[in-house]
Amino acid sequence: MSSTSQTVQIAFDIGGTFTDFVLQDSASGGMKFWKVPTTPDDPSRAVLAGLADLLDETGVQGSDVDVILHATTVATNAIIERKGPKTAFITTQGFRDVLIMGRQKRYDTFDIYLTKPMPLVDRKDVLEVDERIDVFGETVKSIDPISLERVIDTITEHGYESAAIAFIHAYADGSHECAVRDAITAKHPGMSISISSEVSPKMREFERFSTTLANAYVQPVVESYLGNLERALKERGIESDIFIMQSNAGLVPPELARSMPIRIVESGPAAGVMMCGVIGRDEGKENLLTFDMGGTTAKLGAIDGGEPAVMATFEVAMINCRPGSGIPLNISAVELLEIGAGGGSIARTDLGLIAVGPESAGADPGPICYGQGGDEPTVTDANLLLGYLNPDYFNGGAMSLDRGAAEAGIRRVIADPLGINVGEAAWGIHTIANANMERAMRVVSVERGRDPRDYTLVSFGGAGPVHTTRIARSLGIPEIIIPYGAGVGSAVGLLEADNKIDATLTKVTRIRPDAAADIAAVYEELEARVCADLARLGRSEDPRWSRYAYMRYVGQGYERKVDLPDGPIDSNYPDKISNVFVEGYLRNYGFTDPDAEIEAIDWYLVATIPSIYNALHRFESIGDSGEGFVVGSREAYFPELDGFVNCDVIDRYRLRAGDSFNGPAIVEERESTTLVLPGDVVTVSSSGHLLIKVGYEG
Amino acid sequence: MTEPERSNQPIDPITLSVIWGGFVSIGEEMGTTLRQTAFSDAVREGDDFSTAIFDRKGRMVAQGNFTPGHLGSMPHVVRSCMEYFPEDRLNPGDAILVNDSAIGSGHYPDCFVVMPVWFENHIVGYATDICHHADMGGAVPGSQAIMGVTEAFQEGLRVLPVKIMRDGKFCEDIMRIILGNVRVPKKVGGDLRAQANANFVGSQRLIRMYEQYGEEIMETAIEEILDRSERRIRDLIRQMPEGVYEFEDFFDDSGPDTEPIRVHVQMEIKDGGITADFSKSSDQVPAGMNCYKTFTQCWLYFIVKAYTDALLPQNDGVIRALKVIGREGSAFNPVYPAPSGGRAVAQIRIYEAMNGVLAKLLPDRAMAAFSHWTNIQMGGVDDRTGEPFILYDVVFAGYGGQAMKDGVEAMSPVMNCPNIPVEVHEAHNPVLIHRIEFIPDSAGPGKYRGGCGLRKDIELRTNSATLNLLGDRHKFEPYGLNGGGSGKVAETVLNPEGDLEEMSSKERRELKRGDVVSVRLAGAGGFGPVEERDPAAIERDISEGFVTVEAAREVYGWSPSP
Repeated sequence: MSSTSQTVQIAFDIGGTFTDFVLQDSASGGMKFWKVPTTPDDPSRAVLAGLADLLDETGVQGSDVDVILHATTVATNAIIERKGPKTAFITTQGFRDVLIMGRQKRYDTFDIYLTKPMPLVDRKDVLEVDERIDVFGETVKSIDPISLERVIDTITEHGYESAAIAFIHAYADGSHECAVRDAITAKHPGMSISISSEVSPKMREFERFSTTLANAYVQPVVESYLGNLERALKERGIESDIFIMQSNAGLVPPELARSMPIRIVESGPAAGVMMCGVIGRDEGKENLLTFDMGGTTAKLGAIDGGEPAVMATFEVAMINCRPGSGIPLNISAVELLEIGAGGGSIARTDLGLIAVGPESAGADPGPICYGQGGDEPTVTDANLLLGYLNPDYFNGGAMSLDRGAAEAGIRRVIADPLGINVGEAAWGIHTIANANMERAMRVVSVERGRDPRDYTLVSFGGAGPVHTTRIARSLGIPEIIIPYGAGVGSAVGLLEADNKIDATLTKVTRIRPDAAADIAAVYEELEARVCADLARLGRSEDPRWSRYAYMRYVGQGYERKVDLPDGPIDSNYPDKISNVFVEGYLRNYGFTDPDAEIEAIDWYLVATIPSIYNALHRFESIGDSGEGFVVGSREAYFPELDGFVNCDVIDRYRLRAGDSFNGPAIVEERESTTLVLPGDVVTVSSSGHLLIKVGYEG
Repeated sequence: MTEPERSNQPIDPITLSVIWGGFVSIGEEMGTTLRQTAFSDAVREGDDFSTAIFDRKGRMVAQGNFTPGHLGSMPHVVRSCMEYFPEDRLNPGDAILVNDSAIGSGHYPDCFVVMPVWFENHIVGYATDICHHADMGGAVPGSQAIMGVTEAFQEGLRVLPVKIMRDGKFCEDIMRIILGNVRVPKKVGGDLRAQANANFVGSQRLIRMYEQYGEEIMETAIEEILDRSERRIRDLIRQMPEGVYEFEDFFDDSGPDTEPIRVHVQMEIKDGGITADFSKSSDQVPAGMNCYKTFTQCWLYFIVKAYTDALLPQNDGVIRALKVIGREGSAFNPVYPAPSGGRAVAQIRIYEAMNGVLAKLLPDRAMAAFSHWTNIQMGGVDDRTGEPFILYDVVFAGYGGQAMKDGVEAMSPVMNCPNIPVEVHEAHNPVLIHRIEFIPDSAGPGKYRGGCGLRKDIELRTNSATLNLLGDRHKFEPYGLNGGGSGKVAETVLNPEGDLEEMSSKERRELKRGDVVSVRLAGAGGFGPVEERDPAAIERDISEGFVTVEAAREVYGWSPSP
């Protein structure tokens, strides 16, 4: 990309290891990628350093920047590291312990010694107001002024910087919460206060309380981070609009991110899923399963019909990826299943079998072959022995891998104790790791109503593409995309993201013919709330509206997400809703209950305004090397060919659009390695992505 | 490097690992299906269900990781059904139903559906699930009363093994008998369909495994899985000191004005096996809290897992090493028709009796006694709507102090259910919940204190209702260990702010509008001598309001640092 006076868009995503950037030229849509190491103590340092480099490198002036799009882990980190400010939690008298109690279920049934996730504040920071509203929103007890006075005095005395107010049944009537907020604001103007009737007006006190407290806890952190960022950008002469990625994969301006900071908790992973969306669209694929495997965990997600799959709740700060072990949040977030399976996952023997993970050697000390002191064999060690990885070209040659040490480790820990040879042991580790990921992929696909035969698997992350072809086979996925260069970080997903505002409301409604008026009233209220946020978005276009609800048969406890039809909410509407519910139920479970009534619990409205940038971007056409892309060969293990065979090693950077080759083959690039199996056919798209037709006969 | 090659084992470890993982994941996938389509509160709120895959000999190969409360019955149920229905009396598409307390899970609401899995015209295994149904008829809604039932015939509909499905369809006449005898036929019918569906999902996946690996490898794998599991548990048990050990404790009673029930266990650890003998416990009682052996033995299987390896497999191999016996006619091996509907009240205490033995043998894993729990049922007519209601609540408090840390606060004890939110109770029932909060100074003191007791006050807001409580620990304190103190006993009080009245832990009485039921669970037991408690921990307890300054001085001898 050349330096011109044309405008550009810049997107950046702060990840755990790298902060990655993409700069897109408005006119050509061409993109420039960049990455710098993340600075965990103050993430904005890496952002500013990277930006400076990027602008210098491209010769773009700050004033040419048209828009900044940003995904950040700042809110997540504040929660995980408990780095929020001194925060008070104010609740209804008699219910101060709701946060500590939680839902009371062990996240691991058979581990009776586990420790519960603790709330973000101590018990002494929970203050009570004597008041009560009932399930219908009627006042049972008005606010007792003495108890309120006491709360305000305590805030003064202890110097809380932020406060959450969450009363029982406040989703039904938020007037007490508002009154208490006003009273505190009068004494402490400028104090950050979050109230549950605004942050999360949903039934079920623990989850609502937890969400509201988390919002209050991260608000000052996000506020100060965004303030610093805006100031620093101005100093670079960048005065453009800024948008922040929310967990639901929609972008909002800083003003909205500041008022509901909890909604940006899953910002980076949402960008990662959107990145897959960009690539899928580039290749004309709308149904995608996404698979991002790094050193410690693998994250699996989905895009259905071009839309990222979104769930209504999210859990932050989980222990070992176990559901129920973290802090629950009522925020809509991209659907991602995370499991403890990565390149660093440790192999061991158990009951004379091979077990892999969830414990990980991570990046430090890392696998044995890194030679950094790791002494437990990992998936990466096994992949090295199987010939899949190049010991001299790991991380682009920045690191060489010690094959002898890996072999000795696998022999000592796995092969000898099991009485098998070291090759069998390495193959076993690789296979068991695949089986673990296959199981998770089954959950995301089959168990959630997605037929793998209709999906394309997008695989990325340093450790992913060496496992992808086997996982795809085991599930019947017909096609795989390996994006061009792992250098294409999540930031590119931001370019694809739309502006998106959503709102939710709990209103238990039986779906009968006469329910139309109730449903219409729900959507009137939701529309009013969404419109208030839209006004702050600063976009004048008409949004695309979509509705969904969580529904069940009356009497069931598990609600299914149902996309509701568009169009007027008239007397036919309840029937339409019922039909959609029943069809989905039948598809998932194979039966329905024609006698049972259906009800909806939580209602959602989403307004989407398509990004004005996402039609633009295109990947630069790649390579014109003219050299052959096969740069060598090595022995790698393919059991379908009865063992180690000599297979082609392909340099990804020499591949040109239209190139094609068959497995078995190994494609090497700096950040990852792709294993192509016998029977697979690979073609290179014009954007440089590898398209693998999975060979089932191979 | 050498080529991978087959070693001379009956099955290579990689294939075995993948097949074993496959069995476990079938159990889990069946559970996902069942949970998402079930109707009863117990299933959806409490994960009170189980799934399992059995081999053709009726041996359990893998069980889904759900409630521990079915560990004891699940492994045996298929063999019992096979006695009624040998292979030559079964056809593809058949399924068997059973809820008998002795064959099944110890009370009628737990219904098993056993579905034979066919491959190449013969049975290769059984997909099985069990779910706690909302009602099975009998004297009280939910079929779980303790008071007022003296024999099982009053507790509801008993089903010995019958074919509930033929040719893939429910047998309409059998269904009519069942649904005609329960209070909530839609829920029960819906849950039976959900069970059949989960079994179908499991069958299909099992058949695919047989297609992929062939029968010979699958059978070899199953033998290996069971043998290795047995070897593993026996190795773990061999690390415990052999011998014969005893422990005993007491339940308050089996209702107001009845005698305490003794729970006595003698455990013999020998040759890598454990036998738990409950013979010296009290006789069975004419109240619905007797524990059939299939239920009693759950807690031996569970506690061995808890004390050794939480990831210990759940299959027929493991249970070969574990045996529960009891004098026939005792409360923990009763004789039919002993009533047992409310046996859930006893589960924690069966575990705790054996815990009293194992804590001494394996002090690193020891945990003092739990707070116990109270299961509140309140039923009547909501006069705002004219509709009947049943409030079903589970109140849980602390875990006992442990060898390395304080007892966890407010977590589901041995069983593993989430609580039901206050806002959900108030949406479905005419009640107002006034408070749910920890009780200061209730925890058993120690180097590591127990979790606190917990108070919950519920006001009735309709004309009248019947209250039924399944609680305990009102008379006998949750024990401490290694010099730690006991927790404070529980109490249940009617109208704490008015005309206060003490109630029994298993009270059944009529309530009127405005009555407030105040349940105060016991504190959990402490671990280790109080003198060894870290002063910083004492100060934190004071600052957090778990311990008052007065109690800190008196119990811990604490004084403020100058």
